[in-house]
Amino acid sequence: MDIPEKPQTSRDAALKVIDCDVHPYVKDGIKSVFPYMPEAWKQRFIRKNAHVSSHARPLKYEHPNGNVNRVDARPPCGGISGSDPHYLVKDLLDQNKIQHAVLNCLQTGSLCSTLSGTDESVVLCSAFNDFLVDQWLTVDNRLKFAMSVPSQDPQASAAEIRRLGKHPQIVAVSLPLLNILMGNRYWWPIYAAAQEMDLPILVHVTGPDSIFYGPPISAGGIPDSYVERYVTLCQAGESSVNSLVFSGVFEKFPRLKVIFVEYGFLWLLPLLWRMDRTWRQLRHEVPWVKKSPVEYVHKHIRFSTQPIDEPREPKDLDKLIELMGYDQLCFSTDYPHWDNDMPGQSLRGLPKAEREKIFWDNAYSTFRMR
Amino acid sequence: MSKEKKQVTVGRIADFPVGKCTVVEIDGREIGIARLKNGEYRAVRNHCPHKGAPVCKGFISGTMVPGAVGELVYGRDGEILVCPWHGYEFDLATGAVIYQESSEKLLMYPVEIRNGEVVVTV
Ligand code: FES
Repeated sequence: MDIPEKPQTSRDAALKVIDCDVHPYVKDGIKSVFPYMPEAWKQRFIRKNAHVSSHARPLKYEHPNGNVNRVDARPPCGGISGSDPHYLVKDLLDQNKIQHAVLNCLQTGSLCSTLSGTDESVVLCSAFNDFLVDQWLTVDNRLKFAMSVPSQDPQASAAEIRRLGKHPQIVAVSLPLLNILMGNRYWWPIYAAAQEMDLPILVHVTGPDSIFYGPPISAGGIPDSYVERYVTLCQAGESSVNSLVFSGVFEKFPRLKVIFVEYGFLWLLPLLWRMDRTWRQLRHEVPWVKKSPVEYVHKHIRFSTQPIDEPREPKDLDKLIELMGYDQLCFSTDYPHWDNDMPGQSLRGLPKAEREKIFWDNAYSTFRMR
Repeated sequence: MSKEKKQVTVGRIADFPVGKCTVVEIDGREIGIARLKNGEYRAVRNHCPHKGAPVCKGFISGTMVPGAVGELVYGRDGEILVCPWHGYEFDLATGAVIYQESSEKLLMYPVEIRNGEVVVTV
């Protein structure tokens, strides 16, 4: 099988890469961000031992191999994979010749979506954001950041975007989803602020999804194992695309862009066919939807590539992407998670120009790169 | 044209703990030396045939053999190498992915013990 020995091959030497999904890990969690919050809140968290709580997943959803992180990506100085920005830059960016990597902190995401109360989430979100700006973005200019928002409070989320969103390395707003579909007016203050700052909304599973009440839940019931849950996490993506379009979000916010990260993408084609057919038949129920849903999606929504599905016949995947069109996809690794994809091994069957779109152009025109 | 093979001593038995895959370098090529519980040795290219991960940085284990619904049967202890990325399980006897049809296979080299030293043929 034609697998390169090194992540980067001569064929790829000139390929420019934006990685849309990289996970920084804040080593000591809440304790690390104490200096970035008001004293009273620090005392509150110390007293309730928030900094030592494990935030563990229920047993049935723990990874079958014991770790969602790659053990071979642990920093030499010790600690969890993804916890040392200097090592991450070397191991991921230098090794794979990645020009920009969009950081998305899932500790912040899970605290904001589920694990903390509303007021707690507002404080913690700002503290984690400021920590990452201060301790990570200063390490290397190639590190870009999808700042998080405390999504249990849309007004506070909008305020956070306006407070921090001008930072030149902030390129997106990471929105921790709740079990409220994305077209719902609950979210609109956040969209208004993101559009105002020219930042796309980035959505990604935050961790408690399909486990707790609060974040999106897989359709039909609660899964019984890690593998069952993993396979169904994409369902929230499908519902959200549908909801965004039919509720008229892109008519209300005509410059808004949304990127779905790690929800997969092969489901998009049949979804669009169904949305388009239904719109042609019953358009008058949602008269603010003035164009085919396909057009809104192509104009406003992007999808990250990882985890790339792997049909037994690789050409089947290339064919499906050709049917989807090449303007929808943005390459992502998901480093340092176990199911990551590296650029040298990804989408190798696609023509060069199309591959360049997916590895660079589409992300460059989606994120606020400057 | 086949390249000439050579034999390289990579260390003494004591350098290779049982149940671990210890990576050595031969001519710039990373090769993991796995010392199995049954006393046998394997030499494995540190490159996963799936997507190129450093497969020897995974772990050696047994696995749950295919069985009846709701029943777990643990077997093949110490005979399986698990990739640290996507978790493919490789049979250290043959290099093949276990319990599924797949053309993906570990690249393995002959290895033998001579006078307490581990010798790999590459
Ligand atoms: S790279 Fe080894 S299982 Fe994917």
